[in-house]
Amino acid sequence: MHKVLLTGVASLALVAGAAQAADLKFAPGEDSRFNWDSFTQFSDSHDLSGQTLTIFGPWLGPDKDLIESVLAYFEEATGANVEYSGSDSFEQQIVIDTQAGSPANIAVFPQPGLAADLAAKGFLTELPASAGEFLSEKYAAGQSWVDLSTYEGPDGEPGLYVFPYKADLKSLVWYVPDNFDDAGYDVPETMEELKALTEQIVADGGTPWCIGLGSGGATGWPATDWVEDMMLRTQPPEVYDQWVTNEIPFNDPRVVNAIDEFGWFAKNDTFVDGGAAAVASTDFRDSPKGLFDSPPKCYMHKMASFIPSFFPEGVELGLDADFFYFPAYEGEDLGRPVLGAGTLFGITEDSPAAQAFIEFLETPIAHEVWMAQSGFLTPFKDVNPEAYANDTLRGEGEILTEATTFRFDGSDLMPGKIGAGAFWTGMIDYVGGQSAEEAATEIQNSWDTLK
Amino acid sequence: MEQILKALLAVVIGVAAAVAYFYGSNKLLDLIFPSQTKDPADGARNLRVSGMIRPWLFLGPALLSLGVYLVYPVVASVWYSLHGASGDTYVGLANYRWMFGDSEFRQSMFNNMLWLIFVPALSTFFGLIIAWLTDRIWWGSFAKMMIFMPMAISFVGASVIWKFVYDYRGEGSEQIGILNAIVVAMGGEPHVWIAMPFWNNFFLMVILLWIQTGFAMVLLSAALRGIPEETIEAAVIDGANGVQIFFKIMIPQIYNTIAVVWTTITIIVLKIFDIVLAMTNGQWDTQVLANLMFDWMFRGGGDFGRGATIAIVIMVLVIPIMVWNIRNARKEMEGR
Repeated sequence: MHKVLLTGVASLALVAGAAQAADLKFAPGEDSRFNWDSFTQFSDSHDLSGQTLTIFGPWLGPDKDLIESVLAYFEEATGANVEYSGSDSFEQQIVIDTQAGSPANIAVFPQPGLAADLAAKGFLTELPASAGEFLSEKYAAGQSWVDLSTYEGPDGEPGLYVFPYKADLKSLVWYVPDNFDDAGYDVPETMEELKALTEQIVADGGTPWCIGLGSGGATGWPATDWVEDMMLRTQPPEVYDQWVTNEIPFNDPRVVNAIDEFGWFAKNDTFVDGGAAAVASTDFRDSPKGLFDSPPKCYMHKMASFIPSFFPEGVELGLDADFFYFPAYEGEDLGRPVLGAGTLFGITEDSPAAQAFIEFLETPIAHEVWMAQSGFLTPFKDVNPEAYANDTLRGEGEILTEATTFRFDGSDLMPGKIGAGAFWTGMIDYVGGQSAEEAATEIQNSWDTLK
Repeated sequence: MEQILKALLAVVIGVAAAVAYFYGSNKLLDLIFPSQTKDPADGARNLRVSGMIRPWLFLGPALLSLGVYLVYPVVASVWYSLHGASGDTYVGLANYRWMFGDSEFRQSMFNNMLWLIFVPALSTFFGLIIAWLTDRIWWGSFAKMMIFMPMAISFVGASVIWKFVYDYRGEGSEQIGILNAIVVAMGGEPHVWIAMPFWNNFFLMVILLWIQTGFAMVLLSAALRGIPEETIEAAVIDGANGVQIFFKIMIPQIYNTIAVVWTTITIIVLKIFDIVLAMTNGQWDTQVLANLMFDWMFRGGGDFGRGATIAIVIMVLVIPIMVWNIRNARKEMEGR
């Protein structure tokens, strides 16, 4: 028995040792695009040897590898052991974990509404004032990010509870430049041109769009992005703000019109690959693959900036795939509205390592490591734009900064039961044949029961 | 590796602690109330007292865990169902009033009824027929093994498998879903099976049927074998044919087992959750009670009042079936 125990301890030690020697994607000090000073500075001022930091987030698959490549630098700098685990039922699991009193140290929220709920229940630790100062000074449009991260705590007092890190840009349309060249199509500059192009492709015998709303337990969310983009393109941003707070009802004619604008694309059998019936059942992760078939199954795919993570192996951004800005109506005079999102890091179980990790997110290197790979945009002004892996990402960064209007994903701002429930189901029902008016009324009815 | 070691360690510690508790507490009781005393009257009294305490000593841990894992959650659910979203403001019966007016709840009740009507009946029926048929063919055990196998797969695992069966690709492209592949090969049009309201309920039920038929088959097969040969021989001599023997001689003799199988599957169906969550998450009108409860409880910050209210409904529906099941089992025990 004694011997068995000893062997057990020995192998435990071995396992622990192996976990700490994580690989770094870019050797410190070598690539001049990176701000290595910030890394050494952080490393010198923090020693967390022997401590473990657990992080729970929504990222799986390729995204998990990406976040882990960033976490490796935190491990290297501090000696702490970081364990990241992801789940595609993050929204449910984080509620269970916090209620059960066993959450990870850090939770990565894709939705401000969910984080606000947990903050109000006292499950989030308020961040130090320095984090708020950092955001307002160092992030482009800093105040909007501070506002986004400020929630009411359990005592009703507003405070900064989460740290935004990693932004997504949603108003993008992905296409394969070669396919456009072959067919002689030009990138549309206005919504009118985009609609004309869609009809043109059908007239030429092609299928213009790949749309997939499937996402396991979160099926339906890609449709909400369409509707939000359409709201920003048909109504002034103030109306958008009133919509997400339910100051105007969900079945207001202006919202119903935006849903129908989405339906113009998605509910037309000839416009979407597989017909309208396939829209709701196709997984959003599979959906863009149709762009790369030969002959192409579709020419365009509207999706946020993270989607290249799901492109087929070997697709080179900028060469095999590119994007254009999901255009605004020329006739509406609403400028260049941009819809975006991002993830928010909150402390769900306070520890020195958790505090240090938030400080780590304030270093340029924490951003540049991910920028140099894929699917990452940042509003952080001190990072080197050269660090972006390619022109595609740099171009997305530009759209983010050139926007005349920026709004955060509306469904993420609505109460969880609506933005992560009734809205999704409503869009599935809408694509499945319900009218926009009916779907919107049902969503409003759900919202009414929450009051 | 680390997890396995930890799990093993936990098992060892747990077993050791249990042994230590029962052995140690028993010893301690004997020490406090020794039966071998100078005064025999004292010894007899001690023996009586310790005899009264001992059962509670042994029952204690079980009662405690029953309390923590069964009684407390029920009480807490009732309490939550009378409170608001975060569980701190008393709202009376408002949650119940909301529930009965909610269209999604009524939809879930309807779907649950569909499940209740079809799944227990069909899986018991198929289980019985298969048990009867496989007893009389030479490759019966192999067939039984194949049919029993899905029992070993988790509900979510089974859902993932069946997702591939129902998979849909746009018309014209190659269908990787076996159902659509067959339909297309036979000249039909591919369908999005899990997005066809009403009928998709049945496509989901097939998954549970696939899992539970093996369970019904095993129990019923054992019951069929327990039928005394004499009754069947007597029936044969009286000139009954196969079908008559099956329905008039065998079925009445295994009626109790059929009832147990039926009610067990009924309770599983009332709690059905995993399959719906993994396949549709309640969309396309496939919502069921347990998934609706999960939705309200944990999605987007959670509404504990409404979640608990739906949980109470599920419990109220399960209780009569469970009582009947237990009473039936007890009756059967008495007969032996």
